[in-house]
Amino acid sequence: MNSLNKKESKTHIFIKLFSFLAILFLLDLAIGNVLRYYYFRQTSGLYYRTTYALDSTNADMLIFGASTANHHYVPVRFEDRLQLSCYNTGRDGNSIFYSFAVLQSILKRHKPRMVILDIYDREFKKDEKNYDRLSSLLPYYDKHPEIRPIVQLKGPYEKLKMFSKIYPFNSMLFTIWAGNSEFNKGRENIPDESGYVPLTSNWKGTLIIDSSSAKYETDTTMISVFRSFIKECVSKNIALYIFVSPKFVRFEKRDITLDVVEKIADEFKIPFYNFANDPFFLGQKDLYYDNSHLNAKGAEIFTDMVIDKIEKEK
Amino acid sequence: MLFSTLVFFIFLAVSLIIYYLTPPRYRSYSLLAVSIFFYIYSGPAFIFFIAGMTLLNYFIGIALGSSTTDKMHKIILISGICINIGALVFFKYWNFLIVNIAELFSLFHVDLSYWQLNLLIPLGLSYYVFQFIGYLIDIYWKHQKAEKKFLHFSLFIMFFPKIPVGPIERARNFLPQLKHNIFFEYENLSEGGKRIVWGLFKKLVVADRIAIYQSAVMSTIDQQSATTIIFASVLYTFQVYADFSGYTDIALGTARLFGYNLMENFQRPFLSKNIGEFWRRWHISLSSWVNDYVFTPLAFKKRKWGIWGVYVSLVISFAIIGIWHGPTWNYLLFGLLQALALIYEYTTRRFRKRMSKRIPPALYNNMSILLMFLYISFCLIIFRTETFGQAFGIIKAMFTHSGTFFYNKPSTLFFILIGCSVMLLYDIQAEFKLLRFSAFSNKRWIVQQVSYALLIIYILLAGVFDGGQFIYLAF
Repeated sequence: MNSLNKKESKTHIFIKLFSFLAILFLLDLAIGNVLRYYYFRQTSGLYYRTTYALDSTNADMLIFGASTANHHYVPVRFEDRLQLSCYNTGRDGNSIFYSFAVLQSILKRHKPRMVILDIYDREFKKDEKNYDRLSSLLPYYDKHPEIRPIVQLKGPYEKLKMFSKIYPFNSMLFTIWAGNSEFNKGRENIPDESGYVPLTSNWKGTLIIDSSSAKYETDTTMISVFRSFIKECVSKNIALYIFVSPKFVRFEKRDITLDVVEKIADEFKIPFYNFANDPFFLGQKDLYYDNSHLNAKGAEIFTDMVIDKIEKEK
Repeated sequence: MLFSTLVFFIFLAVSLIIYYLTPPRYRSYSLLAVSIFFYIYSGPAFIFFIAGMTLLNYFIGIALGSSTTDKMHKIILISGICINIGALVFFKYWNFLIVNIAELFSLFHVDLSYWQLNLLIPLGLSYYVFQFIGYLIDIYWKHQKAEKKFLHFSLFIMFFPKIPVGPIERARNFLPQLKHNIFFEYENLSEGGKRIVWGLFKKLVVADRIAIYQSAVMSTIDQQSATTIIFASVLYTFQVYADFSGYTDIALGTARLFGYNLMENFQRPFLSKNIGEFWRRWHISLSSWVNDYVFTPLAFKKRKWGIWGVYVSLVISFAIIGIWHGPTWNYLLFGLLQALALIYEYTTRRFRKRMSKRIPPALYNNMSILLMFLYISFCLIIFRTETFGQAFGIIKAMFTHSGTFFYNKPSTLFFILIGCSVMLLYDIQAEFKLLRFSAFSNKRWIVQQVSYALLIIYILLAGVFDGGQFIYLAF
């Protein structure tokens, strides 16, 4: 009798546990789908630009990279001078992982004629944050199988975590809400020129002299993804140019990342231009928003210089 | 293996299945096996060290329990304490001592700096060394019998939920629990699960979210305004609490899933009205340990000194609490500031009592809570920095820096605000029972379950899943 009671009690426990998990599953499913709906309903802002880049852009020319790509390359200038439609896919805080994932998604449905990849100093430095930031691609995981191998670099349990429908939208609640609210209508007026986001104010700080040791451990996965990016472009006959943007920093030592980039670019015969330590930009404080980013005026000047280089290559 | 990661929960699920599939009378064996696995997974290098220390203290305990003369009793106790303190000093404080001694000797042009060692600190060392010492003193005082069963003694030390960051468990609380068979009960699973969910909320939603803001402010402190630095310092107080008590909740919840109750480490410390009360509610397992094994015996021994005996005992006790956190002068100063506050509270207790009668209780109590909170926030500036210079730099910046308030991203502030509010309201409700309705302890099963499911949903929405670390893991 006692053992029978125990057995009943165990059944009871499992029913309760199962009920709780069912409640949790249903809430996760419902709220996750609501978030997904509103995420993809946005018509401007950071998330929208990523969605547009992955799903819609048919531009002849694409710009890839992190914040230095996003704020330094003015699409309208490329369009005027090169007569090519242009979209800037750069996203703040991201790395070559993000660029490669976006490139793969775009290549599935469209082949651009020209690609610019912006690389920054220390980009290939081993840092967990580069993997953490792949979260920005989680909302696209379900419908873009081509980006899954990159997203799974985040960690071994990413596949398991994606069982939750809310997880891809983690930490995005307020931004999604803002993107769908009346507030967002005001945001329509914020310049969002084919992905490019201009920075408006002027830097008040002084020139930074970076004499720190440039020795650091490089991330071999990042370097291999960088190679894949180049190979993908080469195999599809896409004209690829690699640039390093100017900074209001004087680097006194060579950077390992840039050395690696130069070597690989050379191997594939890809034009590579390094504007770090460029004397013109080091002397023009009023072209900067902060010591790492050009303002709108600086971006226009820099874009013209980039176009000059591309035209020379032609 | 951090308690807030998915790998820990996979390990936990597998461990629970193994544990409850084992016949009740053998469950202690399977629990010890998973605890050893946990320790090896977290850092295989020191499994032999903790095993050796456990074996050594087991035999010292037996010898202490069976010694017949007072002199022998004392010798064994002192030897046991010296071995444990020696291990702690060697791994944790060796370089600190050498650096300071070398500095002294450098005045005489003697270089001792090559005596420094590159040592890794064994996981949980500070916690289990204090457990060993407490256990031996309890046997010496005859408050506790020496544990004869090595399996039980090993579990008392190596039970995995309390290995990384405590609580510093007492033998008299934990060992008796090991004598009973544990059965698969809904109560244990339910209460343990709820505690874990709250722990995850504190850690992932509150502490790790504040950490993002902290890191942004502290890495650019020269450019931050006084308001921003003050705000960040206040937030740090919430961060430490959410981080450490969150961890403790996960540890206690995990222990409960296996049918064991570990001692509480926090009791709503931010609702304390003075520093004395704060230390009775904050890191209780450490403060009560120091109270029982250092302060009380010392104050008793120095009773002839009158009030000065109490003061000296307070200073020594809080110096130990301070330096326990790590080998820096800042931790020592942090401890001494607590002692100073307690001495102030002791000497002004009559005056403050008279004051409290003249001021409306609600105002007096709230002002006391606020003052206590501000004092702790100030002390934590010293706690969080490595040198006096850094601490002074932050304090100076609070009064001299101008500029605009830095809020990082609006969503970060929203998440912090909501997280801190929920955490505080939960504590206030638990303390004062202001509301009759309680979603989380509702008698209706469905209300309670939906509330916890929603809490998990909010953790998924607002938790920080990348790059988190537990502050107290460093101690």
